[in-house]
Amino acid sequence: MVMIHEHILLGIASVGSLTMIVAAIWALIVRDLLAAIILVGFVSLTASVLFLLMNAPDVAITEASIGAGLSTLIFLWGRARIHES
Amino acid sequence: MRTVLAFAAALYVSLFITALFTDADISDLGPVARTYAQNGINDVGSANLVTAVIVTYRGLDTLGEVTVLFTASTAIILLLSLHAIARRASPASDIVSLTARVLPAPILLFGLYIIAHGHLSPGGGFPGGAVIASAALLVLLGCAGGVAFAHWLPLAESFAGLSFALLGFWGLLRMTQYLNNSVIPLGVPGNLISAGIIPLISTAIGVKVASELSAILAAFRAKGWEE
Repeated sequence: MVMIHEHILLGIASVGSLTMIVAAIWALIVRDLLAAIILVGFVSLTASVLFLLMNAPDVAITEASIGAGLSTLIFLWGRARIHES
Repeated sequence: MRTVLAFAAALYVSLFITALFTDADISDLGPVARTYAQNGINDVGSANLVTAVIVTYRGLDTLGEVTVLFTASTAIILLLSLHAIARRASPASDIVSLTARVLPAPILLFGLYIIAHGHLSPGGGFPGGAVIASAALLVLLGCAGGVAFAHWLPLAESFAGLSFALLGFWGLLRMTQYLNNSVIPLGVPGNLISAGIIPLISTAIGVKVASELSAILAAFRAKGWEE
């Protein structure tokens, strides 16, 4: 992140964090469980981009794989089990 | 309500941007952080200070953290095994099954790289283990009978956890403190083989986290399908 112009970085950061807030609130109020799960995964994905911008690539990797990958899938499989019982 | 939300969002964004463009100088750090930043590379010989703090200075906390993860995964697997899944999952689509055949190998390699270079570049046991677990997730998603590898996961997990705890006792045997890093020569900071027992502990944590997360995923996964 050394040579990127500061304004571009600022733009990505503002858009990213605003999107994250909107998606998080939307996930709270949406009625559909599937939509809520996908929105939570999206919040994790945005958080991982923001971690990368803040020069924490290790946290970004962990957030992307656990937050956006594993936990989204676990929620989806849990939802499938709720539906079958 | 809407005004409050908008105000909170604006506050959050401004705080975030301030954090993003504030470069921390070594004189801004508190006394503890400054000690780590100044003496870390001589004390533990690790080029990556974050891993050095996680594994050596705060190694006991990490041991506790690993125990918490162990307890959580044991409880999840126990709960899920009480109600065995009768349903079989539907077959994966062509896209998913092709991805699950191609991608896990490079993802696994990347995870191993992150673990092996934990004392040199950002990463270490936890991120590397999480990356390896996402390779396992792809295998579970796309391959029929992908759950078969789950049988030896508890063995790998226990072995890794035990070796982390036992590596700590090495320091006690040498009449120093628990989890002392310099029981073997520190080497040149920046070399692959350096930083005392940090790479060994990173490997143990990596194996443990990867097998725990994969075991949780395999427990959640339905049985697979007939091809």
